[in-house]
This record gives sequence, structure tokens and C-alpha cells, in this order.
Amino acid sequence: MSSDTHGVVGQSVLRREDDYLLRGQGRFVDDLPTPLNTLHLAFVLSPFAHARITSIDASEALALDGVVDVLTGADLATMVKPIAAQIELPGYSFNTRDVLAIDEVRFAGEAVAVVVAESQYLAEDGMELVDVDYEPLPVVTDIHQATDPAAPQVNPTVPGNVYFEGRFATENVDAGFEAAAHVISEDFHSNRVTAVPIEPRGCLAVPEQPANLVFYSSTQIHHLLRTALAEFLDVAESTLRVVVPDVGGGFGIKAALYPEEFVCAALALRLRRPVKWIQDRYGALLTDVHARDNHYRVDAAFDDDGIVGALRAEIRTNGGAYSAVPFGCTLETTGGARMIVGPYRITEYEYTATAVATHTAPILAYRGVAQPVCFMAIEGIMDRIARRLELDPAEVRLRNMVPTAELPWNNVVGVRYDTGSFVESLELAMEMANYDEFRASQAQGRLVDGKYRGIGICSFTEVSGTGAPGWRARGLSRLPGFDSGTVKVEPTGKVTAFVSHAHSGQGHFTTFAQVVADELGVPLSDVTVVEGDTAAGPYGTNTFASRSAVTGGGALIRASEKARLKLARIAAFMLESTPEDIVVADGQMHVAGVPSRALSFAEVAETAYAMNTFDLPEGESFGIEETDFYDPPLVTMANATHIAQVAVDAADGTVDIEGYVVVHDCGRVINPMIVDGQVMGGVAQGIGEALMEEFVYDSDGQVRTATLMDYLLPSSVDVPNFQIAHIESPSIDTVGGFKGVGEGGLIGAVPSIVNAVADALADLEVNVNTKPLRPALLSRLIREASG
Amino acid sequence: MTDECEVTITVNGRNRRSRVEPRRLLVDYLRHDLGLTGTHIGCEQGVCGACTVLLDGRTARSCLHFAVAVDGSDIRTVEDLASLDDLHPIQEMFHQKHALQCGFCTPGFLLTTVELLESTPDPDEAAIREALMNNVCRCTGYANIVDAVTEAAVELRRGRQP
Repeated sequence: MSSDTHGVVGQSVLRREDDYLLRGQGRFVDDLPTPLNTLHLAFVLSPFAHARITSIDASEALALDGVVDVLTGADLATMVKPIAAQIELPGYSFNTRDVLAIDEVRFAGEAVAVVVAESQYLAEDGMELVDVDYEPLPVVTDIHQATDPAAPQVNPTVPGNVYFEGRFATENVDAGFEAAAHVISEDFHSNRVTAVPIEPRGCLAVPEQPANLVFYSSTQIHHLLRTALAEFLDVAESTLRVVVPDVGGGFGIKAALYPEEFVCAALALRLRRPVKWIQDRYGALLTDVHARDNHYRVDAAFDDDGIVGALRAEIRTNGGAYSAVPFGCTLETTGGARMIVGPYRITEYEYTATAVATHTAPILAYRGVAQPVCFMAIEGIMDRIARRLELDPAEVRLRNMVPTAELPWNNVVGVRYDTGSFVESLELAMEMANYDEFRASQAQGRLVDGKYRGIGICSFTEVSGTGAPGWRARGLSRLPGFDSGTVKVEPTGKVTAFVSHAHSGQGHFTTFAQVVADELGVPLSDVTVVEGDTAAGPYGTNTFASRSAVTGGGALIRASEKARLKLARIAAFMLESTPEDIVVADGQMHVAGVPSRALSFAEVAETAYAMNTFDLPEGESFGIEETDFYDPPLVTMANATHIAQVAVDAADGTVDIEGYVVVHDCGRVINPMIVDGQVMGGVAQGIGEALMEEFVYDSDGQVRTATLMDYLLPSSVDVPNFQIAHIESPSIDTVGGFKGVGEGGLIGAVPSIVNAVADALADLEVNVNTKPLRPALLSRLIREASG
Repeated sequence: MTDECEVTITVNGRNRRSRVEPRRLLVDYLRHDLGLTGTHIGCEQGVCGACTVLLDGRTARSCLHFAVAVDGSDIRTVEDLASLDDLHPIQEMFHQKHALQCGFCTPGFLLTTVELLESTPDPDEAAIREALMNNVCRCTGYANIVDAVTEAAVELRRGRQP
């Protein structure tokens, strides 16, 4: 059989999500109708970064009319086991977290008690009345001070505050350095940030038959959450249903499993009433997982042509006070160590990668994970090589890149780049950015009209669609890798596609429908996508790390193929033909060469559902409902080049982004409009990370950035217009040829902007090796350099 | 709790008489008392703009007002923009230009745009970016929102009725 329907994959189909969202009819977790007897939670957060809890007096709170209960860590410990990430790396210090702190708090904002009340207002009233006495203890927040022998111990099972130290070296890395004509060494510092989705976290637990509990959560990982709830609450997984409503942005921080979710579910089961918790922004900033508190020391050995012969990286990442569930505090550590070589032919490589514990919020995934920092490092090194050798930075990159003709290429840590366009993306981006003209204009001097102008490049590989082997290589053996799809042709011939993902703005209802429509050969409008519900469709690994197009797309293609084959078998039987001779086109199935011998999907479906006078062919089962799974390879590697052009105000150090070019290659594009949206949104977050966002603890572990007036987000006047182009190098290793795109915008933006600022200030010979590049820092650098 | 006050607020053209606690935020009143959940809460700090409504025709942060304080006022929320059959031209252009992703901040942007285009029917890009700078979107990177507002202005000037 064959399909000759005109494809909708590759078209900028407008989103079907938009209509209800634009009308204000989105159903985010706080919008869900709640039963009248719903209880509300408010958590009592520690004001100290490290302290002993000497007493908790809830009597005043309990006396308040409408407060149902106040529970402490000891109370919750009878209902919820300590939660823990399962990391299987040699030397990893296993550690657990009580869902409410018992005896000791380890970061400012850690919850010590929960108030249960008849309304949200009453819960917060009760929270104010809980009297907690603390005995403050010594604090360490800094990643370098954490391993000082005199530093206070953060976690009893993490000796010396080292969660993990990973080492790797190729055989001849030392020889590579000895033989090199040049060596450059640089330190790169990265600011702690967090994702700040505009919808804070929240959940609603409703005791309901036939499951014992329906749990709605603003999460990216419903299946993993359900398994974890079962495990840590010690209830049968089959009695739990997790539903993901509309999610107002996730960006990775909602791909963590948080104490509040376990507390909410446990209390609903215990109290036999619906329990709801909606986070406020203060709580979000303090308790959402953070990211990027990293330090990289990089040594590069290179020859007179700028070819890097050997690379050493000493990476240190702050894991926070607990190893966050499920991916653990080693996520950034192993990520940066494995990804830093990027698109370059670096064959001798050594790393030491350390995750340390401090009295700060736990670290986990934020869009890009380690990549904005490791590429800030390697791309910063490429620029430094260029400055040392007086070569153009683009030329240095081109000389070091793996050319397309040499793909597939296995990089030095064993990651396969199956297809890609490293050289082509850089060349096209340079053309779009008028790179050569810009360089020529710089020859007249970088300072024009009071502004230093510079241009910065980031050429990078982008890890996406990770399979089980990829997670195992990073110690995450309990993280599956696969996702699932079920394609169901209803009796009326319409199609429902279930997929084990959960959207948070990516447009899955549209893009997955495009994939299924093409694979089945039906009009797009005939396909409805259902996701984010553990009761609908089989298990999967869910939605993070740029997975959904690769794993969900692959699973749906496979399931569609099975459904199409079954339709063809039944149609062939009805038309007295053979399945091989059945052609699918525009929602019809006909015998090849005889378009008049045709059946609609509905007519074939009626036979499958025994709703007409046909019998099923011998051996065929009823219905058309086909499921398949797809586990991608180790990782699916996308790539891109970003070029940022900036102006740094000589007087006040402010940075304007005057031009921004992205050439992105995510393989086969499902919906260019949506891909562009992902790229632009990511770049905006990267602008924030490079220029303004920073979560700050003082040396006592006190939070200096607990509101959005202190933690600055980019607005419409900070983000420029974009020039975006796509190169499509379909993956030859994945079903469907898709590669992920969710994170690339952010990954490329941070290094390209940092490099552009460094380039703008190159004549001043200041060292730009840190971020965020706020006006205060840049004006100080300019002032100092200008004497 | 006790000491509830009676308020009369015109919401989306309809007079609503309610009893509310003096401390009840306008946004909670809209969302949880009237069921108008299209107005969202992003920060309760007056920064993000997700809770933006029109208060007597001007944009206001509904997380920073008490319901009792707007007694007698006229409130317009996102639910009032579209008809059953048609989106408002601003909404339609947000759809056409892919100016929303998760959609959580979108109602605030729509109402800010309504205010802008009522006062400035033909804004240039700088004016649009200036007007939108107090609404935070974490998904789109703003460029498509700016495009959508530009195109919506064209549509509205052409006389397409909201």
C-alpha cells in the first residue's frame, strides 16, 4: 500500500490551540473547577538558609476558624517517604529530601510546615500564625567555598559537600598539550538563573473513583510523576491518575518533581477531600529549581592555524541543598562535560566535572541545561584563539568544524552526530548578518557615536531526543527514554491520536496532528490529539530536553503505520484486492489504478467495528486502535549558528542588540512557524540570561531577588527582531527524521551575546568571561580600561 | 470571613452585585467569584501583567486592586473580546502571527493592545514595544506579538469592527 496525500508536515499550519486560549478559555490548573469542599494549602517557608528547627508552634493557626490542620515534617514523614533522585554514577553521594524539613533546613525557602484550610486566604492567614523557632547555623552558598575543609556540611550523606566528581581523559591529551604551539586558559563564570514560567506551579488532588486519586498538576512529566507518587506515597500506581491541564510555560523547571506535589496528594488521600495548592511568585523564585550556577576552567591547545588539538575542562556546578528529583544534581555536571566539544573536531579531551552541595535551592533542568554555559566556554575559547592569532573568529570555527562530508561523526565522548550542517549554518548566518561588511566597518574603529559595536558567533550542537542509552550514559538508568503513541480510527473514520507528552505552549495539538494526518493519509481536520493524561494512552518519558518531536513524532509515525496497514487489510478484503494494492489518498482508500473502487475511512472503520454487513477478514481483531513506542538513539543532535550584533553604550554600559541572526537545523521541520516561535522565545530567554537575569544569595544564604522587581526579565524593548533561516538535514537515525528544537534558541543566544559584547570591547582589552553583562559591570570594565 | 461588603461592579457589560471580603483581590473576585478565569495571576507583584484588565477603559493590574476599591467601576476582561462566532481583530492577528505559545500571559497582552489601539490607532514599532513593555511573555520573544499588534492596527483602521 502507499499514501500520496499532499503532506502537511513542513507547512506553517496555524495552531488549533489558539482559539480557546485567546478567548480566555484556557484551563490552567488554577482555572479548573474545584469541588466546594476543596481544601487549600499554604507552606511555611524557612527564612534561613541553614538552621536547626527548635520548635514549631501551630496553636494560633489551629485556633483560626477555617484552618483544618497544620502539619510538620514529622507528620508528613508518616505519609511520604523521603524523595530522592536515583543516580547511578560511580562515587555519587546518594541523598534524600524530606518533603517538609525535619529538624534542619538547608536553603532559604525550604518548607517546614503546611497549613490546610477551607480557602486560600485562610491558609495564608494560618501560615502567618505558625510560629517557628530556628537556631541559625553556618552557611555556604558559593561553589568554590563549598569544598573548603572549613565549610559547613550541607547534607549528612554528602561528604565534603561533593555530590559527584566525574573524570574522563583520552589517551593522548597530555601529549596534545605538550606538542601544542599555543595554549589558552580561561575561567568562565555563569550566573544562577531560573526559568520563571509566567504560570507558577500548582496542583489539585481529587479523590475520585475508579482511581483513588486524580491528580492535576502543572507539570511536564505526568507519567514520571505518577510513578513517583506511587513510590513515595506507597500506593498502588494503578490507583492514581495524573492529568496535565494547560501549562503556562515549563522550560524544564516543571520537569522536576517537587515536595508540594507529594504533600498535596498525600493530604487528599488522608483527609479524603480535594486538596489544592497554587504557588505564588515569591515561592516560585525561592523553591523552583534553579540552574547555571557553574564555573568552567578551560585550557585549549592549538597550532599556528588555530586548530584545537586538545582540550581540558574543569567544570564545577552548584547542585544546591538536595539532589533534585528525578534527574539529580549531576544533570548540568555530566551535561556540560559531554557537550562542550560541540561541532568541533576535538579528539583529545579531558574533563573533571564536579557537582557540589551548598545551602541554596536545588538545581535541575532549565531550557538548554548545561549548554548555554559550556558553549559560552568553548565559543569564548574560539574567539580568544582568533584574537591571539589575529584570525577572524568565524575562520577559526570553520577550520575546527566537522565538515558535513565527514558526517556521521562520533565525537570524543562517543556521541554520534548523524547529520548536520555546522559549516553551512555558519556560512549562511554570516551572509545574513552581513558579517564581512560589519567586520570591515569595525576596521574604522569599534567606538562610533558613543557606542562600542561588536559581533558574536555561537555555532553549536544541540542535544535533543535522548534515548535510554543516552540517559544511562549519564547515570539516569531509571529514566526510560521512549515515548508512546496510540492511533485510533473511530467508527466514523475520524482519528484520535494519543501521545505520551504534555504541552506547555509548544503547539502539540497542531504539530502531532500534522504528523498523523500525513502518515495516515487523512485531512488534518480529521485528527484530534490527546495528551497529558496517564489514563489516556500508554507510558512515556514525557516532555523535556527537546524530546517531543523526536520521540512523540516517532511513536505516532509507527502507530499510524500499524493503523494504516490494518485499514488496508480490511479495505482490501472489502474491495476483493490485496493490501499491497490499496492506495490511501485524501481520506479514501482505493485499489491502485482503479480510483473508482474506493472506500472512505468511515466505511472501512465500520467493518472494523462490526457496524455493517461485512465480516472482518480472517484473523483480524475488532477496532482500529494501534499503539507503538519509540526510543530514539543515544541522543539526536540538532545544530545551529547564532550571530548577535550589539552596541555597548560607552557612558552607561547598557547593551542594545542591533541585529540577531539564527540559522537552525532541526532536521525535518514539522511546522516552520512553530519552530521559529521556539527559536525566538529561546533567544529572548538567552538575552535575559546574558544581560540581566540573576538569582542572588548573599553570603548568609539570604535571597536578594525574591520578586520580579529584583529578578529582571527581558521585555518587549529588550528583545530585537530576528532573522531566521532553516537548513534541513533530516536525521538518518530517527524515525521521521526530526530533531529537537526546544532549547536551541536559548543555548545559542547566551554565547553569541557574550562574545558580541567581548568583541565590542576588544580594543579595550577587557576580559569578558562572566554573565550577566549588566550595565554596572560593563561600565566598570570600560572605565577601568579607559583609565 | 466576616465584614463582607456589598459591591456593584459592571463586568463585561453586566451589572454584578456581590458580597466580598474587603481584602478580596479584584483578580480573585473575577476568577473565583465570577468564574472569569481568563484573567491570570502571574506574580501578584504588579510586574508581569498577566492579570491586566480594563478598569473604566484603562489597563489595570487586577492583582493590585481590591474588589471593594473598584465598586461602581466598569471592568472589561478577555472574555468580552470575541463573539461566539468571531475573534476580535486583535485576537485574530495574535492567531495569524503566532503571537502566543502557552497562552498564559496572552489575555494581559490583548487588553493592553486594546488600550493602545484605542488611543493610538497607527502606532509605529517603537510605540508598540513601549506599550507592551509592562507585560511579560516568557514564550514568544515578543517579535510575533509586535507583528500581531501592527497588523491588528491595520485591520481596525480598515474599519473591521471588533
